[in-house]
Amino acid sequence: MARHQKFLGTKINPSRFNRTQVKYIIILIPVLMFMLLPLIYIFNYAFKPIEELFYYPPRFFVERYTLQNFVKLFAVTGSSGIPMSRYLFNSIIVTILVIGASVVVSTLAGYALSKLEFKGKKFMNEINTLALMFVGIAVMIPRYLVIEKLGLIDNFFVHVLPYLAIPVGLFLIKQFIDQVPDELLDASRIDGASEFQIYTKIILPLIKPAIATVVILSFQTVWNSADTSTTYINNDALKTFAFYMNTLTANTNGVAGQGMAAAASLVMFIPNLLIFILMQSKVMDTMAHSGIK
Amino acid sequence: MKKPLKRKTRNNLVGWSFLGIWAIGFLVFTMIPLFTSLYYSMSHVVLSGDGIQVDFVWFENYKQVFSTAEGFNFLRSVSDFAIELLFKVPIITVFSIIIAVMLNQNIKGKGFFRAIYFLPVIIASGPVISQLIYQGAATIPLVEEMGIIDFINQTFTESLARPIANIFSELIVILWFSGVQILLFIAALQKVDRYTYEAAMIDGAGPWESFWKITVPSLKSMTLISIVFTIINLATFSENAAIQHIKNNMFALETGFGFSSAIAWLYFIALALILGIFYLLFRGATRERRRYS
Repeated sequence: MARHQKFLGTKINPSRFNRTQVKYIIILIPVLMFMLLPLIYIFNYAFKPIEELFYYPPRFFVERYTLQNFVKLFAVTGSSGIPMSRYLFNSIIVTILVIGASVVVSTLAGYALSKLEFKGKKFMNEINTLALMFVGIAVMIPRYLVIEKLGLIDNFFVHVLPYLAIPVGLFLIKQFIDQVPDELLDASRIDGASEFQIYTKIILPLIKPAIATVVILSFQTVWNSADTSTTYINNDALKTFAFYMNTLTANTNGVAGQGMAAAASLVMFIPNLLIFILMQSKVMDTMAHSGIK
Repeated sequence: MKKPLKRKTRNNLVGWSFLGIWAIGFLVFTMIPLFTSLYYSMSHVVLSGDGIQVDFVWFENYKQVFSTAEGFNFLRSVSDFAIELLFKVPIITVFSIIIAVMLNQNIKGKGFFRAIYFLPVIIASGPVISQLIYQGAATIPLVEEMGIIDFINQTFTESLARPIANIFSELIVILWFSGVQILLFIAALQKVDRYTYEAAMIDGAGPWESFWKITVPSLKSMTLISIVFTIINLATFSENAAIQHIKNNMFALETGFGFSSAIAWLYFIALALILGIFYLLFRGATRERRRYS
């Protein structure tokens, strides 16, 4: 009986459709349309010919599809000194490093802040929640000074380090670890597990959905961020793809620039969508088969 | 043999070794810049090619906030934001709960629905959203046609009508900010034992009673977390009017970075107060939680 139920628990989609579902579907589908709007918009926008971009009042859907925005965008990419692949390579490395490191750092910290007893825990928890509210842009200049003092200007790792202590990631991870029952941990302690074993063998597998969420969120932040390149990096060879896309469109002024910007934002957006599609099933599992009840 | 460490000392050691890396990153890249900006907020800061020149002036910048037009505009944007929060937070919370409850039912294609409802998380970035608002994609057409906005403008005083009209015209945007909250609520719902519902059903409770007596109480602790997340998410959204003020004043000639830091801190304090109020309202709920775990 118990095994049978666990099996059902891991299955998100019921196989059959029946009439009791209709009342939910009737509400869910129209709202779903609104949720899809931004996605449809990004795609439509990129394929609009220049005239349509400037229609007034603006129209949501494209009327005559065109690839001219993309053609122009890639025409300019050939003209810059450093090849596009270099920026792309930088961005991929930075993104992988940040996601990997920030998941490790924030799960370790989340476990400590949620389940371990030590001096200063309460204080650190509160300070993290407060720091969440502080507007990032307001500390831009002080942070620049710190990074300059550390000698990290023009260092590749400046792309990575400031992102490691993202308060939002830790906040979410901690909430999920809070849901893990203490009894489970106590049981493993009695069986002789060290805290680190508990972390790797129990906590990490159980909070996979939270980790997937944090991966999606931090991918989005890091991949789209041109700020670190603009602020901390002078050497062009160390800058990222997001920065490159920004300069391409910013250097081409006026009307043509608008079209290219639209194309560039789709190019930048596609990896976000891919990561989302890859990770979403893990996110959506939530706690279904974690055995936590 | 060495004397074994005291239990307490050992706990502290273990706790801080888990938290250590994060704490260092947090201190260096968040706390130090944060306090530097507090110092700047009480200084006259001049940025020039040779570096940064800082003269400590006590509360000069803060006085300026409360006595100049620019400061007044900023304060008004904060009070607008506070009023908007008063409406947006309940809307997002209730909407996420309803959607989470529905997505927790047995519906065909549940995985797909969950994914789409979570999708706006990767799109809800500044530029896309502001474009969509401009294109009118964020309004439900009925709102304008039925004259709701006119009605609001006529009924309320000017300072109250502006934020409320805003909410109606951005109703769909509000829904885009509920992705993570829906996820949090689904996670909480899955912790509720199915047998509780069965037991209630046997005792003669209908779905309505089950919802209020079982579902809602079990979501209470997650409600506070979701509210905190909502406030933070909305408050740090880059198109937020208050943030625009902070940004614009940073390099402005008349005001400068000191003034900008001062308004950033005022904004921070206002947010902390708002968060504190919600915390007090929902604190009881978190304490009750033990009963269900």
